[in-house]
Parts: sequence; C-alpha cells; structure tokens
Amino acid sequence: MVQLIQLNNMYKFDLHKLLHEELGNNFKDLVTRQSGQAIRERIERDIEREPDGSVISLDFSKIGVIDYSCADEIVAKLVSRLLSGEYGCKYILLEGLNENQRENIAVAVERKNLAVMAEMKDGSRSVLGSLNSYLKDTLEFIVKKKKATSKELSEAKNIEANTSGTRLLNLHKKRLVKRAEEVRSEGKIWVYEIL
Amino acid sequence: MIQITEDSFEKILHSFIHSEKIDLTNVSFIDPYGMVGLLEIGELCMLEDVRKTIILPRSDEVYRYLDRMDFFTFAKRYFYLEHTSTGAGAKYQRSSNSDVLLEITAIEKANDIHYIVGKVTDRAEAILATHLHYDDRAINGFIVSLSEICQNVIEHSENRGFVGIQKYRYQNLGKNVVKIAVMDVGIGFRKSLSHRFRLRSDIDAIDKALLHGASRYDDEGRGHGLAGVRKFVIQWQGMLSIRSGTARLSLIPQWARGRDQERNLTFFPGSQINILLPEM
Repeated sequence: MVQLIQLNNMYKFDLHKLLHEELGNNFKDLVTRQSGQAIRERIERDIEREPDGSVISLDFSKIGVIDYSCADEIVAKLVSRLLSGEYGCKYILLEGLNENQRENIAVAVERKNLAVMAEMKDGSRSVLGSLNSYLKDTLEFIVKKKKATSKELSEAKNIEANTSGTRLLNLHKKRLVKRAEEVRSEGKIWVYEIL
Repeated sequence: MIQITEDSFEKILHSFIHSEKIDLTNVSFIDPYGMVGLLEIGELCMLEDVRKTIILPRSDEVYRYLDRMDFFTFAKRYFYLEHTSTGAGAKYQRSSNSDVLLEITAIEKANDIHYIVGKVTDRAEAILATHLHYDDRAINGFIVSLSEICQNVIEHSENRGFVGIQKYRYQNLGKNVVKIAVMDVGIGFRKSLSHRFRLRSDIDAIDKALLHGASRYDDEGRGHGLAGVRKFVIQWQGMLSIRSGTARLSLIPQWARGRDQERNLTFFPGSQINILLPEM
C-alpha cells in the first residue's frame, strides 16, 4: 500500500500509517532504533521512484513521542544520505511537529552537524539542527519572502552580490531551499524558494 | 523484617545466588529494583539450568503488591513458588487504584519498548503530572529516557531484561518519588565496550558509557542515549545508579545518600539500573 500523497511535487509520508504498516502494531510512538530503521528503509524504497526536485515531507502530526535513537535512525540518517547524494536532488521537510518532537529531532540532527527544515503544527517554519548564523538569517529571509534571488538578498541585507549568491547556494547544498532557473528581463537567473 | 531494595540488594545477592531456596517469608517491603533483581537472579540460574525455590512472603500486603506488579507472571518461569501458611495466595480483588506506573515488563524486542512507552504515556498524567508535578516537556523527557534505557537492553546486553516503575511517598523528604528499575544479566558494560576501548575495570566501563558517551558501535549518532538519560536525571534532581559486574557508579543528588563509586561488589552479570526522580 502506497503512503505517498503527491501535492505540487511534494510527496507526503504519513508516519503514523507507515508505523502500522511496517511494524504491524497499533502504537503511535516512534521509539527504538530498530523501528526507526524499518521506517527509514521503507521511505528510502519509496522515494527512489520520485523525480529529482521532489520534496519528501514526513508528517508527524499523528505521532506521539519520538526518542533520540529513532530520530537519529529516521531523520538524521535520511538527511545525511540526502546530502551525500544517495537519493538524487531531493529535499526533506518535516511537518506537523509538536514542541517535544521538535526538540528531540533537533538533538539528533545537531549531533551529526546537520540541519533540516521543519513545519510545526501551527504552520510556523524553522530550521532544526546546526546552521551558522549567516545561513540562518538568509533562510529566515527566504521563509519570509517565500522565494528570493541573490540580487534581492544582496539588496535587502546590504551585502556583496557574490556573498549573497554563496549563502543561497550553500542553503541549497544543504537542501534547505529549492533552486530553479527562471528567465527574466535581465536573463536567466537562479531563484531560491522555500520547500 | 527484610526489605528488598537497592540498598539491601548487595547483602542478599550473595546469599540468594548461593542458596537453593530464596526465603522471602519475612519480607516487609520490596520495590521494583528488588523484584526485577529477583527475576534476574532467576534468569541467571535458568541460564545455568538451575531452578530455585522462592518461599513467598507471609505479609499479605507484600504478596498482593507482588501480584499487582505482575511479578508472579515471570517468577513462575524461573522459580518454584512455595506459599507460606497465612493466607497468601488466597483469592482477592486485585486493586486497580495504585501508584504503579509500569508493572514488571519484559524487554526482549522493539515492540516491548513500544508497549512500555504506550503504557507509561497513558499513566503519565495520573502519576507524573499529578504527583511529580511534571509538565508536558518533563513527561516527554521521562518517556524518552525510559525508552533509551530500555532499548539499551536490546541493543547491548545480548539478553532479555525487565523493567518496573512505581511511585512512592518519601516521608522524610515530604515528597513523592518515582523509582525505575531496569536490569538484565547480559554481557555488561565492560564486555560490550571492550571491542572499541581499553578498559581497566567495570567502573571504568560504566564511567565511559555514562559520562563520556562511549558506545560499542562506532557510527556517528551512537552512545547518546545514556548521556541523554544522565542529563534528564540531573535536570530533575534525580538519582541514577548503574551496577555492572562488580561495580556501581551513581549520580547522587543532595537529598540522597550513597557513594558515587563502589568496587569489588559480588559479581552479577549484565547491567542493573536504578533511577529515582523526586517531585518538583
């Protein structure tokens, strides 16, 4: 049974359903490394089929507790492998998080010096994990504007064009923002947008 | 009268291991550490093809408590149970109104941890919020710590284990305290870590795991479970002790007494963990 719900190039995994399918129990908590591994492997199998540019959304809204080991096994390992190019050019977004889940996942990704975008239950977005203050500031700028170019960032933050370009590119390399080419009056430019 | 808790465990361990019959006739109090400890003695004996006899407590109250904690469910696998004369074992209404946060539960596979976490989450409001005054964040920390410590049994011990949790009223402190006991008679900290670290003693091994995040696995992201538990216990002014082999290392808060390091204890394999968390 496929758990993916496609919406504008976004593929949503209902982790609660996945937990039932993979472990065959009726629990709602994401605990233990073993359970996390089973769920991650299922996600890995499913996202293999999705095209480059897809945003893989992990929906935590029906999940109770997530412990550090499971957070490491699911989120930190997925992000780590995503950055090493194992899944192609895709993105990961965590959705429907509560405060406790956010905190536990942040611990797991921070330990591996990684960062991941998260959307809380109230719809607010923030980055979890390790990100230097310049990139955090840049990311907040994009989250606020939804999309931005290097020139726009350069003007808004009063920084050199090559600095703003580097910052945006680094955020993209960390798969925290999407990048698309657009043709405008000034020619082809890269536009960076939120996941 | 005898009390079977972590404090008395060292005294009774030696005699219980070496006698054919474990006499609980005069036991007036037993906590999760005592119960789980007895079951682990049984597990150890079973591994050596020995089945001892337990003479059950005379006290009806203690007997009922053992039953309420599901002690007998597991004890009858390991021991011959011998009743004393004073009515213990008679039928009675099992009380549902108790301070039991988690009955004695076996830890063998990942699904057991899901069960434990689910059960404690269900009872958290009634015990952790009401009696320990834990807020939502602290309850989350409690459950995550419990999950991490229980899965260490599966991940590291190469054996099964047991866990039990109970709330008590400490009269001398004027506070409620939750006691968590998690034990196994597996390979223990020293053997588990010996592939990756040069360890001089059991205390050295516990120290490495608890205070330095050492893990038998070398991949990044490992060894943080116990570190997280330590952080949680310190934050909530709790007490944590880990016994393994012949040593015990404890984190002792101001309100408790004890030695932070003990060596040359009676050898008992695996790991025996005791956590006490007071109300805030």
